[in-house]
This record gives sequence, C-alpha cells and structure tokens, in this order.
Amino acid sequence: MAALLRGLRAGRLLRGLPSVVAAPASTNQQCSSLRRSFHCAALRLQDESKSDKSSASSSSSSSSSTTHHEHYQAHSSHQDTEAASQQDPDPNSSDREQDEEYETEEQLQAQILAAALEFVPLYGWSMEAIAAGAESLGLSSASTGMFPNGSGDLVLHFISQCNSKLTEILAEQHNQVQLGQAERKKTADFLRDAVETRLRMYIPYIETWPQAMSILLLPHNIPDSLKHLSTMVDDIWYYAGDRSTDMNWYTKRAVLTGLYNTTELVMLQDSSPDFKDTWAFLDNRIQDVVNMATTAKQMQSTGEAVAQGLMGAAVTLKNLTGLNQKR
Amino acid sequence: MHRAAHTALCDWPQFVRPAMIRQSLRCTGSLQTSSRAYSVIPPPRDREEEEMMHRMLRVDHAGEYGANRIYAGQMAVLGRSRTGPLIQQMWDQEKKHLAKFNEILAENRVRPTALLPLWNLAGFALGASTALLGKEGAMACTVAVEESISEHYNSQIRALMESDPERYTELLQMIKEFRDDEMDHHDTGLEHDAESLPGYWLLKNAIQLGCKAAIYVSQRV
Repeated sequence: MAALLRGLRAGRLLRGLPSVVAAPASTNQQCSSLRRSFHCAALRLQDESKSDKSSASSSSSSSSSTTHHEHYQAHSSHQDTEAASQQDPDPNSSDREQDEEYETEEQLQAQILAAALEFVPLYGWSMEAIAAGAESLGLSSASTGMFPNGSGDLVLHFISQCNSKLTEILAEQHNQVQLGQAERKKTADFLRDAVETRLRMYIPYIETWPQAMSILLLPHNIPDSLKHLSTMVDDIWYYAGDRSTDMNWYTKRAVLTGLYNTTELVMLQDSSPDFKDTWAFLDNRIQDVVNMATTAKQMQSTGEAVAQGLMGAAVTLKNLTGLNQKR
Repeated sequence: MHRAAHTALCDWPQFVRPAMIRQSLRCTGSLQTSSRAYSVIPPPRDREEEEMMHRMLRVDHAGEYGANRIYAGQMAVLGRSRTGPLIQQMWDQEKKHLAKFNEILAENRVRPTALLPLWNLAGFALGASTALLGKEGAMACTVAVEESISEHYNSQIRALMESDPERYTELLQMIKEFRDDEMDHHDTGLEHDAESLPGYWLLKNAIQLGCKAAIYVSQRV
C-alpha cells in the first residue's frame, strides 16, 4: 500500500517535471536550468520520501476509520502545499549553491584559467595546465573542451589579469596624489615605475614566458594580444597625465610600446639578481627618450630663430636695394 | 519594538558616515580631475555605445581641426586685407569649438584620428588656395565648408534624438550651439558675395565632396 502511494507520488512528480523544465527552457541557459530542475526534483523526491515515512508513522497512529483514499487526498493536499512552499525556496537554494561557484559560463572559464595558472610552471602554457587546473577545482579534465584555443586563452587571461592589476595600482596612486597624500611623479619616473611594476608580474612565470610570447605571436592570437598591449599603454599614459589630442597621442604610445617590448625581451635573458640589469636597461632607454624629446624641442626653437634671422636679413636687403619703398 | 527603534536611531550614523566620507572623496576626486562638475557625455552603458560615441567625437574633433586650419590658410593670404578682421572673427569662434572638443576628447579618453597631419596640410592648402582667388573665393570656400559641417552636425543631432534624447541632453545642446555658429558663418559668407565668384557652383560642389570624403574617412581611421 505504501509502495502504491509512493508510486502515485512519483507519477505526480514526473507530471510536474515538464512544467519546471518548460518554464526556464525559454532562456538561453538550458543546461543549467535542466540541472536546477533535476536538483529540485531530487530534493522534492527526497522530501516526499521523508514525509512519506512520517505519513506512514502518522497513518499508523491515526484512527483506522479514515480510508486510504481520503488519507491520500489529505496527504496529497499537504504535500502540494509543502511542495509549493518548497518550490520557491528550492530553486533559490540550488541557485545560491551554484552562485557561489559561477553565474555565467565566462565566470567558470575565468575560474578554471585562474586555477590553471598554478600549474603553468609545471606543464607550461598548455592544455595540460588547464586540465590540471580544472581538476584542482573538482571538475573533470574534459572541461578543456570549453577552450578551443587553450594555450592562447590561458596566456590572454593572464595578461588581462596583469593589466587589471596594473590599472588598479595606477588608479590608487592617482587617488593618493589627488588627495594630496603623495607627490606627483615626473613623467620619466612614472613610466619607469609603471613598466617595472607590470613586468615584475611576469617574474613567477619567467621560465615559461618565452613560450607564452610565442603563443601570443600566433596569427589567431595577434589581434587580442595587440588589443591588450594597446589598452595597457593607453592606461599608463592616461595615469601619467597625458591628455593630448593630436599626433602626440600616437607618438607617445608608440614610444612606450617600444620601451615595453624591448624591456620585456631583455628580461627574458636576464640572469642578474632581481633582474637589476633589466631595470638598468629600462632606465637607459627612458633617458634616451627624454634626451630625444629635449633635442627635438631645441631643434625646433633653433629652427625658428634661424627663420627669423633669415627674414630679417631679407627685409634688410630689400631696404638696402630700395625695393621696399611705397610709391 | 522600542529597543529596536532605539538601536536603529543610534546605529544609523555608523552606516551613514562611511558612505558620506566615500561620497565626499569621490566628489573631490572628480572635481579635481575636471574643471566643471558635470560632463557633457554620459558614462557609456556598454561597449557599443562607447564605440559609437567615440567615433562621433573623433570625427567632430577632426572637423573642427580642419576648419581651424582652413581659416588659418585664409588669414595667411587675406590677413592684411579688408576681409581680414571678418575672417579672424570666424576663426576665433572655430578656435573655441576646437578647444571644447579637445577638452571632451581628453576627458573621455577618445583616440584622435590618425589623419590629423593630413587635415592640417589639406585644410591650410584649401584655405590659402581659395583665398588666392580673392575675397569671393575665400567666402565661397567658407560657404561650402560650413554647409557641409552643418549638414553633418544635423545628421548627428538626428541620430542622437532617435536613440535617446534625454540621455544626451547636454551633448545635443552643445552640438546644436555649434551647428548654429556654423550656419552663422555660412550666412556671413553668402552676405559677402560668395556667389559672385565665377565657377562658384563647381568650386562649392568640389569642396563639399572633399568634406564628405574627409568625414567618411575620419570616422573610421
């Protein structure tokens, strides 16, 4: 008899299932909604079996005059209200559980890549690192299927993470200067510090960084890597105080890109303690740029002086030869 | 109930003070970074709107820069003639427009167009060469260019009105003001015998075609 009741309840459950599935099926996240609905169904079945046990005990204690059918009706209404009240908290609780892990596929991918970074020194920038990262999160290593451009995704994710960290640091320094708690740095010093901070983020992965750079040079990765590079250079110049709106915008960014790339290459084959040769190279290059800018300015003022001198000479000649007279 | 109200009354400064401090810090930060307390461009909602806004600002900045150089070319030739003061006056207004766009571009981190050196040369050359045709030539060039620019601003105003007038109120106001200034220059040009130039129709259409091409290219590069 109890088995019959359980069977009837399971049937009602299965009838309720399509409605749960049909409602969220209109959204794009069918997999997650199906998972959630199965989760709900599993919870409900669990609860029903629990209440089934309690009902069995209560039915034995209640008077035997109530027919099983009536008891079933009363119990089904009780179950309905229970299920109805549980249907609302159930999706929420399962949502809350899943919210702690991820909300969108992108967040899950970001989590897997972040976990994979720990395995990069061991496996290099490769699918193995991503698989190890997925396994360390408790997911199957088949999650690498989410990354068709595996090693490229990993390197680009790391680079964008470094850029965000750099932007945070620069914004914090900017706030300190605004609040008057810190002195404004000179442009050359600011650039040197910004490039040094950014390159220091590569130090933990410096052994495998040549592999990462070659991955970034693959044709399908070039657009993304150029975009990351250009946004980083733009951020550094913005916080250095550059507000130019003419060709200087382009020349400044080109100069900083050259600085950054050459220093990165020097860093790869630097074996001095704490990379002090690299920072010395960076200092020298920045000094070169400053010298060039000063020379350009001096040349411009010299040129203007020379032009004025020539004009003066021409006017004097005209006066001497009498061509400048008004008739 | 009484105790709850009491604790609520005592506790609210704890919640308000940190928020107030944060708010005041944010306010001083933004006041110090810009000379005004408001911004003409609303903060972008998403990538698409940011792209659209940046493209608009880039081409407007290029347009004002080009107009500036055209007037500079005209002044280089006609600066000491009778029309000198008139051209100088129109040039000063364009300088104000350019300064405003420079400010907006710097604030919103918009990339200026890479063709600026080209517009520098081309604008100066156009202004100087039309001024060599005399006062009527310079006025005809002014009429043609200002008509193109006004048409361009009008299409931008239409686009902004179609998408969301309330969101872009300040920007719309600014563009309308600039468009009215350009129309004034256009009318001034007509008043000063632009149409009496021989070949006026040909010159005007050639210049307007060049302006259209410049606008098209500056939006993309």
